[in-house]
Amino acid sequence: MKNGHLQRLLCLFILVLPMASASAGEVHLSVAASLKDVCNELTDRFAGSHPGVKFMKNYGGSGALAKQVENGAPSDIFISANLEWMEHLRERRLVDTTSICTFACNSLVFVGFADRGVFALKDLHKLERIAVGSPKSVPAGTYAMEALKNAGIDRQLGKKLVMARDVRECLMYAERGEVDGAFVYNTDALQARHAKILFAVPQELYQRVIYPMSLTVTGSRNADAAAFFRFLQSGEAKGVLDKFGFAVK
Amino acid sequence: MLALTPADYDAVGLSIKVALTAMAVSLPFGIVYAYLLTFRDFKGKVLFEVAVNLPLTLPPVVIGYLLLRLLGKQGWLGPLLEAAGIRIIFTWKAAVIASAVVGFPLLVRSIRIGMESIDRQMIQASRTLGAPWYDTLATVILPLSLHGILAGSSLMFARSLGEFGATIIVAGNIPGVTQTIPLAIYEYASSPTSEELAMSLCVVAVAISLVALFLHEVLGKKLVRRN
Repeated sequence: MKNGHLQRLLCLFILVLPMASASAGEVHLSVAASLKDVCNELTDRFAGSHPGVKFMKNYGGSGALAKQVENGAPSDIFISANLEWMEHLRERRLVDTTSICTFACNSLVFVGFADRGVFALKDLHKLERIAVGSPKSVPAGTYAMEALKNAGIDRQLGKKLVMARDVRECLMYAERGEVDGAFVYNTDALQARHAKILFAVPQELYQRVIYPMSLTVTGSRNADAAAFFRFLQSGEAKGVLDKFGFAVK
Repeated sequence: MLALTPADYDAVGLSIKVALTAMAVSLPFGIVYAYLLTFRDFKGKVLFEVAVNLPLTLPPVVIGYLLLRLLGKQGWLGPLLEAAGIRIIFTWKAAVIASAVVGFPLLVRSIRIGMESIDRQMIQASRTLGAPWYDTLATVILPLSLHGILAGSSLMFARSLGEFGATIIVAGNIPGVTQTIPLAIYEYASSPTSEELAMSLCVVAVAISLVALFLHEVLGKKLVRRN
């Protein structure tokens, strides 16, 4: 008797399982943490005109997202904050190569509080704790470490660097005053309420911040994902990007 | 096969340092708490008991966040600490506090089990022979509950080695300063190109835990035999 119940339950479970994973109108996004606000607005706008579409948004460090996709996490569209992690997935044939294009551009700044007398990279040694994205998986941290290295101050700052799991965590550390400053993107700094931009990191010290985006192999088979992907390249999307401070060229 | 970077060696050393310190700092408190819970009756004992055991069931992240709100620059004790020139958050001291809070119930429980197994008549005998309470504690209770104290300490040490949730919030992730083994593994685990490095550190973590638990068993057996 008990066994029969269990079997029926199991059957039901097996029947429901594929329905849950393949339910129509779902679009899974794996998007760099720095795009959180702009992406939320873009999905809201798209959902407004496409009521059937439901977005599953996964924001995080681009390297961590790439690793998730590599390990089979559901993802239809991948937007990275650097070329490296897009290339990583392309090499493993996990993204639809023909769809790869540039979504937006950004630049690196240093945020904190003005009373510490820090106005350029050479002043950073005055600070105790500096937040930076973990360069192993967070592009903002990779760019920041590149800039520090090229400025010749990476060793000097070595043990002052708090490694954050994504760029938004960096910003949060600075906002709460738990660190004396943080390397974030210009667009993140615009979202800050307490911390101010102390200086822009000179562009000649690091690679240009480019966000490549692509449909994943599974995403290229999802009509809603493809429609949203086209929307991301539209004039309307570019207007939203511009509003949030991203460069679109 | 075991490819450890200099930062990994730092992480291993730091983990052991943090776990040992957390254990040493907690031990006196653990003994007092266990003593109170075992031998004393007082108002609100149940509440006291619940409070001691709370970290056992709370998500470590909650503990970390509460500690951050308590000790952070904008925290409740923040101005006080700043006036005293003490910086806790994002230093290794924060990792010690996080480990101590999370591991404390394990310590108290083990010591308490040790204390409860003492024959009450021995304690009463020492008191009727004129020993003051602290003498009884030092010459009867502590030696007889040594087994529990050692078991609790080694358990707490092992738990501290694994502390992640509270630590990452209050101690941050600073290589060479606050990056313990679990934090280093977490960092490797989110990077697509660091699989082997993560695995090497995992092997080290398993080895240290095995040694700690082995010691725990051997010491326990020895003590049981002696008794």
